[in-house]
Parts: sequence; C-alpha cells; structure tokens
Amino acid sequence: MSLAPEDRLVLARGVRVRFDPVRNCHVLLAPERVLFPCPTSVEILGRLAEPRPFAELVAGLAAEFDAPEEEIRADLEGLLADLVAQHVVRVERRGP
Amino acid sequence: MNAIPREPWREPPIGLLAELTHRCPLACPYCSNPLELTARERELSTEVWLRVLEEAAALGVLQLHLSGGEPTLRTDLEAIVARARALELYSNLITAGVGVSERRLEALAKAGLDHVQLSVQDVDPEGCDRIGGFKGSLARKVAFARAVRALGLPLTLNAVVHRHNLDRLERFVELALELEADRLEVAHVQYYGWALANRAALMPTRAQLDRSVEIVKAARERYGDRLLIDFVVPDYYATHPKPCASGWGRAVILVAPDGRVLPCHAAPTIPGLDFPSVKDRPLAWIWHESPAFQRFRGFEWMQEPCRSCPRREIDFGGCRCQAMQLLGDPEATDPACSLSPHHARIRALAEAEAASAPPPFRYRRLAEPAAAVPA
Ligand code: SF4
Ligand code: SF4
Repeated sequence: MSLAPEDRLVLARGVRVRFDPVRNCHVLLAPERVLFPCPTSVEILGRLAEPRPFAELVAGLAAEFDAPEEEIRADLEGLLADLVAQHVVRVERRGP
Repeated sequence: MNAIPREPWREPPIGLLAELTHRCPLACPYCSNPLELTARERELSTEVWLRVLEEAAALGVLQLHLSGGEPTLRTDLEAIVARARALELYSNLITAGVGVSERRLEALAKAGLDHVQLSVQDVDPEGCDRIGGFKGSLARKVAFARAVRALGLPLTLNAVVHRHNLDRLERFVELALELEADRLEVAHVQYYGWALANRAALMPTRAQLDRSVEIVKAARERYGDRLLIDFVVPDYYATHPKPCASGWGRAVILVAPDGRVLPCHAAPTIPGLDFPSVKDRPLAWIWHESPAFQRFRGFEWMQEPCRSCPRREIDFGGCRCQAMQLLGDPEATDPACSLSPHHARIRALAEAEAASAPPPFRYRRLAEPAAAVPA
C-alpha cells in the first residue's frame, strides 16, 4: 500500500485505544477483538481520532521525535499498511 | 477427579459475557442458552449487575458482551451501558434487533455503547421467520441495522449458518455490504444447548460446508477492504478442534442471568462442578481460585493423545463440554479432533444426520421440560 500525502487516515469505526492499569500497557479495543499495540503504534493511533492527512501525520511525528521526514515516512508506510490490513485504521481517498 | 491443590490463576480475563436475561422474542433452535431457562423472577437486579461490572473492570476485563436472551428486554440496559463506559469497558450489544425502537437505540448510544452485533437468521424473509419463530423479523432487523448505522455505531451481522440457510450464504454477504456493516460473522452452528437437541435438524452436508468455505474466501478477496469476515467452521467436520472459549477459564468469564459464573455456556453440563454465584462470592475469587474455574486449567488433567500433543498449547485439547456430551468424559480429547479414537464415529454421525430428511425444529422456549439429548 502506498500513501499519497493528501490521503487521510483515521481510526476505523469502533476502535478505541486506552491504557490498562491491570496489565500495565496500552490496549486496542475493537469489535470482538483486543490487541496489544507497540508503543509506536500507540503514538500513531493517538493522533488518528479525527481524519488526518498522511503528510500532516508525518510532519507531526518528525517534529515530535526530531527526525527527518523521509525516515518517518518510510517507517510509517509499513506500519500503517499493517494497521489498515487489520481494519484498525481506515484510509479516506479523494477521487477514484 | 483431580484433587491437586493449585496456585491461584494469575492471568486476568479479557471478556465478560453478561447474560442479562434468558427472555427473548425469538426461539432459534440453535440457541446457546441452556434447555432449562432462567425465569425473569430469578434474574439479577440492576444493583448486582453494576457491582459485577465494577468487579470485572478491577479484575482486568476489557470487553463487555451484553447478551441473553435478548438483552434489550432489560429496562436497565442504559444504566448498565453507562456504567461500562464510566469503567472504560468496551461494550458490545448482542441483539436480535426485532423490538428495539430508534429512540431506545439512541439512548443506548448516548449511554456510550461501542458496538452492535445483530443476528440475522436468514436473508430470506420466510426462512428468517421460520428459524427464529417470529413473524416479520427480517424487515425489522434491516430497519434496526439502518438505525445503527445512522447513529454512526459500528455494526456486525451475525449469521449462524446450517443446512436450511447455507445455500443463501452469498446473499448474507450482499446484505452485510448493503447495510454497510463493518463485520460479518459466519458461524456454523456449535452443537450445545438447544442446538444439540436440534442437531439432526441443523447439520449441514460436507458439500454445503465446503461451498461455504469457498464463498467466504471469495468474499474476503473481493470485499476484504470494506468488510471483515469471521468464519467459524462446524466441529463435527473439523480436523482439529477449536480452542473452545480460548481455553477453559483463560480469557472469558460468563455471568448467567441468575448470577452463576461460568467459563462457557455449556459448562453446567459437566457433572460434579459447583459454579459459584456473584451473589455469594467476589468475581476475583471465582476467577482466580474457585475449583470450577481451576478444574481444566493447565495440562495435568489431560489424557492421551492430548497430553503429549504439541497442539495442546493451541487448542487446550478442544472443548470439555463436547467431550462430556459425546463421550461422557470431560477429560477426554474432544472428538472433533481427528486424533481422537472417536472422531470417525462422530463424523459418520454428522454425515448420516445431514443425509437424512431434517426432523422438525424443537424451538427454544421458556419452561420447556429438559429432555434427553441425542448422543
Ligand atoms: S439465539 Fe435466537 S433465541 Fe437465542 S437468544 Fe439469540 S435471538 Fe434469542
Ligand atoms: S490431540 Fe488434543 S491437543 Fe492434540 S490436536 Fe487433538 S485435541 Fe488438540
């Protein structure tokens, strides 16, 4: 999956991420599913409550972690492809 | 019996299945409720349910499945959902969707409901009425599904499939797409409770099963980006058994309408186990220490071939209740497993039942006397 800068990303319907004090980690709750996302995924998912363009997500994370945008973008594409395949994140595209 | 004293179990449960009531307007012949249904007078009070939710959240439960019977028949459902939301439990309403007004649904959404799972008995209106024993059910279900989506709530269609509706599986997929459902669960009947009593009336042929596998595969390829499809195959035709309830007392805790706490629906069919009630004991003790929950944890209770099988960590030897029902021994290897010495007989039984004309349904009704079940 390749993402264009203007593609908008958002949590899939019914997905919630929260901290679980019993297990002492973040948990992802979705219909009939519980996942235990890695810290990087938690950081990303926390920014996708509202639809956000891919470029904006990259820029935000690059600023936060003081890393080159190119690097962030490359890392993110793989991770997001995975989250999309798992129906955790949805891509909103304009046009056909 | 296994008398080895045990350490308390340390892993928390993930899901609480709250069976709020056994009352239901429908009468599905495969209902997972027990043959002896609990009457309204014996249902837990609101107060007790709210306390159970508190205890469950403290214990580590993350998801709350509001089930029944028909959970919307409880007039306190909004209060229960609101408490779940306050405790950050993910709430899932499992409903037949026939008597729920838009206003009611809106109130539940406002209270913080996270997800709705709607059962659809058949995509053919007559079939839907015949299976659920309720007139005009499909149109009501469709209207309910649209109301769910209009409120922006995520929706799962639950299709329990068997010999009477499997030939319309493609239309189930189409209906899910048309209603903009997020998920479709295609679940072959599991033969417990009423389903066991109706096994011969429901058992599909091997050819029907194979065709359903193909249809699901094709639908996933074609619509996988829009619709998540879960698929449960029937035990009797399986090669390996399912990891029933993710293992006895490992992930799920079920509270029955009268307050009894169970590791799964069918657990009371195993003799000699004493299931404590939330009215008498804290949920945490029941989960971590009660003898009934400890009974089939770990691997010491297992017999061969499970005991030395590498898959025991994956399926935990299959289902204890099925071993009990079909072999009379809850410690035996689930006969759904091809390594069980009884597998061939069970499979032949399924094939013979599927090849015969289906007997009439024995509908799920309250106050029906518990009768003998086929073996
Ligand atoms: S399976 Fe049918 S009868 Fe049983 S609770 Fe669900 S809708 Fe009611
Ligand atoms: S022998 Fe037991 S553990 Fe091995 S696959 Fe069969 S049921 Fe599972």
